[in-house]
Amino acid sequence: MENKVNEKIFKPKIVGFLCNWCSYTGADLAGTSRMKYDESIRVVRVMCSGRVDPTFVLKAFKEGADGVLICGCHPRDCHYHEGNYKCLRRYHLLKKYIIQMGIEPDRLRLEWISASEGAEFAKLVNEFTQKIAELGPSKVKQNIETFS
Amino acid sequence: MKPKLNLAVYWGAACGGCCVSVLDVHEKLFTIVEHANLVFWPIALDTKYKDVEQMPDGFIDLTLYNGAVRNSENEHLAKLLRKKSKILVAYGSCAHMGGIPGLANLFNKEEIFKRVYFESESTINPDQVLPQPHYKVSEGELEIPEFYNDVRTLAQVVDVDYYLPGCPPQTERLVEVFLAIVNGEQLPPKGSVIGAKDKTQCDECKRKKSDNKLVKEFKRPWQIKDDGETCFLEQGVICCGPATRSGCGVRCVEGNAPCRGCYGPPPEVADPGAKMLSAIATMIDSNDPNEIQKAIDTVVDPVGTFYRYSIPFSILRRKLL
Amino acid sequence: MKELRIGVYVCHCGTNIAAMVDVEKLAKELSEVKNVIVARDYKYMCSDPGQDLIIKDIQEHKLNRIVVAACSPRMHEVTFRKALEKAGLNPYYLEMANIREQCSWVHTNRNEATIKAKDLILAAIKRVKWHEPLDKRSVPINEATLIIGGGISGISAALELANAGKKVYLVEKSNKLGGIMNQIDLTFPFLNSARQILDRKLSEVVNHPNIEIFLNTEIGEIFGYIGNFETQINGNKIVFGNIIVATGLKPFDASRIPEYGYGKLPDVITSLEFENMLKSGDIKTKSGKQPQSIAIIHCVGSRNEKYNVYCSRVCCLTALKYINQINSVLPETSIFDIYADMRTFGKYCEEFYSSTSRKNVTFLVFDQKNELPKIREASSSDKCNLIINFREKLSGEIIEVPADMVILMVGMEAHEAAKEVAHKVGVSMCGNNFYIERHPKLDPVATTTDGVYVVGTCQAPKDIPDSISQAKAAAARILATIEAKTVDVEVTTAFINEDLCCGCQTCIKVCPYSAISFDAVKKVSIVNEVLCKGCGTCAAACPTGAAKAKHFTDVQILSQIEGLFSYA
Repeated sequence: MENKVNEKIFKPKIVGFLCNWCSYTGADLAGTSRMKYDESIRVVRVMCSGRVDPTFVLKAFKEGADGVLICGCHPRDCHYHEGNYKCLRRYHLLKKYIIQMGIEPDRLRLEWISASEGAEFAKLVNEFTQKIAELGPSKVKQNIETFS
Repeated sequence: MKPKLNLAVYWGAACGGCCVSVLDVHEKLFTIVEHANLVFWPIALDTKYKDVEQMPDGFIDLTLYNGAVRNSENEHLAKLLRKKSKILVAYGSCAHMGGIPGLANLFNKEEIFKRVYFESESTINPDQVLPQPHYKVSEGELEIPEFYNDVRTLAQVVDVDYYLPGCPPQTERLVEVFLAIVNGEQLPPKGSVIGAKDKTQCDECKRKKSDNKLVKEFKRPWQIKDDGETCFLEQGVICCGPATRSGCGVRCVEGNAPCRGCYGPPPEVADPGAKMLSAIATMIDSNDPNEIQKAIDTVVDPVGTFYRYSIPFSILRRKLL
Repeated sequence: MKELRIGVYVCHCGTNIAAMVDVEKLAKELSEVKNVIVARDYKYMCSDPGQDLIIKDIQEHKLNRIVVAACSPRMHEVTFRKALEKAGLNPYYLEMANIREQCSWVHTNRNEATIKAKDLILAAIKRVKWHEPLDKRSVPINEATLIIGGGISGISAALELANAGKKVYLVEKSNKLGGIMNQIDLTFPFLNSARQILDRKLSEVVNHPNIEIFLNTEIGEIFGYIGNFETQINGNKIVFGNIIVATGLKPFDASRIPEYGYGKLPDVITSLEFENMLKSGDIKTKSGKQPQSIAIIHCVGSRNEKYNVYCSRVCCLTALKYINQINSVLPETSIFDIYADMRTFGKYCEEFYSSTSRKNVTFLVFDQKNELPKIREASSSDKCNLIINFREKLSGEIIEVPADMVILMVGMEAHEAAKEVAHKVGVSMCGNNFYIERHPKLDPVATTTDGVYVVGTCQAPKDIPDSISQAKAAAARILATIEAKTVDVEVTTAFINEDLCCGCQTCIKVCPYSAISFDAVKKVSIVNEVLCKGCGTCAAACPTGAAKAKHFTDVQILSQIEGLFSYA
């Protein structure tokens, strides 16, 4: 019975790749400041957004992510100088690829969140969750499972 | 004298090039037939499927299955040959990763039928006839294989012992593998890629390389005046060599064409195209979002560039439709 | 691979986690997961008994992987790694699931928060399977310290280190040491001369054999890591093991507040300009007259949504100091102190306030939130230079205060150079450009970059005693690391598998630290692990999978992602 109810309300599941120095710290700050945001996001910590291999994003979609959020330090503020720019380059090319593969581009988002932007992080998660809720559940996983 | 091996070669959704590559053994064919009976090879022998069905299980020592699995016939034969073979090798890019036929996973069955049976310039089909797997005629029921929605790799249909990559595989590699089996050499662990190396193309490529892989715009091969010496990437041309196993003898680059990735990714790589995609994006020599976008605009077809031979093998497997 | 034996520990953190996440249920459910040998929940995992629980389990149950679901790994990863080490397990066999900062504290639905916590823990379980033991790497510590900024904080730290016999390179951007303290007359609450305090310190610094001073010098690119940094100063290479950043403050630019007319009305001056008058002993209006009345306005640029929301901490007490000083020099001059809230924390400071309030002064309160006082030029009939118009908060009435001079108590902002220095030394900044300390309570002196400390007003507004305390604390921390002779450095560096590297050299220009070079004989790229800081960008750029970011490998992260979805 309870399951039935849950089925009706779509609860997006979002994977977030956050860089250790800015975005992950910012997300922690949202916590220490007791800001509230949607439960949708599950964070995977990487040292730098430049570590985010496009494979991770594809894997997240494959496993059932309805959205993928990558967060790094603001331009020119990268702890490792330019990792965020490398991420930016990969993000754009990856986006072009997922569009070709029929995935709605809005399901993948890259944003800059600094260590002090707890509030911005909370807002971003809510906004992105809302966007994903509008798009509905991702069909990538089902598409792979019914592959025959 | 050792008993002869039973050898089978089959083509699924393939162009025939893999079978030709087997023929390319030339005079070594004599070595092969000295050690093996060719028990099944549709391109060269008139063995019927029912003959294969009647073979005892495990009767065939080595089957080279080339081609992807596109329809019910491919699937039936894949399963049949799996049962009848001691060693089943996914031979060539299509069996290994889906290959060129795998590009059809950018469409679904309906779209493909529409194009092929209604729209294509050479089609005249006023009655809008489409293939039917079963069709009753006065003489009885006709049956043709069912066309599937997705193109699959051999391993996505049956258990595969080894993968021998390439479009087509380099014939020398086939002979080496064949002789290793004949000579009873220790075979690699099941699931291994054979006839290719762990290191990627650049390791064998003779072109001059440096760390100067910074690119403002990517060019198609015809847009550059190739000096024949410098790494294609350093001339701004996307070459999939760094992300593609060596073993082919760097054939394309030796022919002054960039590598397209038919030998597939090196070990431990989870997705066949994402690493190259990532490397190419990394090479963009700008931090300015507009300039980055401009450079990316010059990568005209990411799927066709990075997944030319491997859409079914990739993490996403097919386009979402 | 050896049989996996995982221990899972779910922390209540008092009620911090337990109130929003059903930790008991999680521990029970997780004990059923494959390879999990023990799963427990406990009140405070980071406490000694909590850590002992892990240690005992490792030894009793032969656990070889540990998952702790608690606070952020940024908080206690080191703590739990040490516990593993104590139990004889490689510390890198630990994975933490952040179910406090990124779960219990930010969610409101207990059921959903518990589901999310479970996902995070399952992901950690999947990931930890692939963890590899990493060996500690320690490097010798260079005993010298680079101090950036020659204000009171930088000087105090320099003396502390130099007196302990350690070399100090003190770099100051301007042409003299002393910083903002040069501009201050007396200090609160005892009204001691800032000059005297500073001069004594300066002569010590200037004559100290262990302190090398570089004036008019801006710091260049800094290379290296804790224990072994290097940079160029005036073309000479200097090497040092630690860095203290003491870039100080910039006074708030009062002309940004249009209501106060600073820069347009000549007798509206800033607190620092008034300090200068006090020092010269010449309190005069622009027209050279002795002011009959002086108004002081607090919170200029501070505690205001439009400018800076934070309190600059020294302005109230400085204003009280002015009241005392004006009173003694110009006893006939009437003083209006217009404040928003009087903040006089600190030793003897409340006492200072109460003694000052008995002086000849009128305290008035303005409404900082809703409307700032407006200062205008008085008309010729007003018998004063300026009129301050505002709603007095206590009476609720709009009043006009006459003044010949208005002192604006300007707040503190981070120095302009802070951002550039942050980049060079690799520290992060808050939104308002103050440096972020490693932890606001547990480690307010260090930063997230090992070997880099922040002291004084570059970290947050503070007074002289607090700046000196922080400076000396940083110096003590550095002396302790020097005493240890060696320091453990980051072992989660990149690594290139030579059996897979094809020699394409894509990774080389990618590295921000030039840590990767090409071995022309082996035809492979090689990582200099001493230079590598472990960002992992090369691993994402490598087309072959040969470049690996230790502790953040593809298989570890891909398994973690899988784990997030293993519980439907």
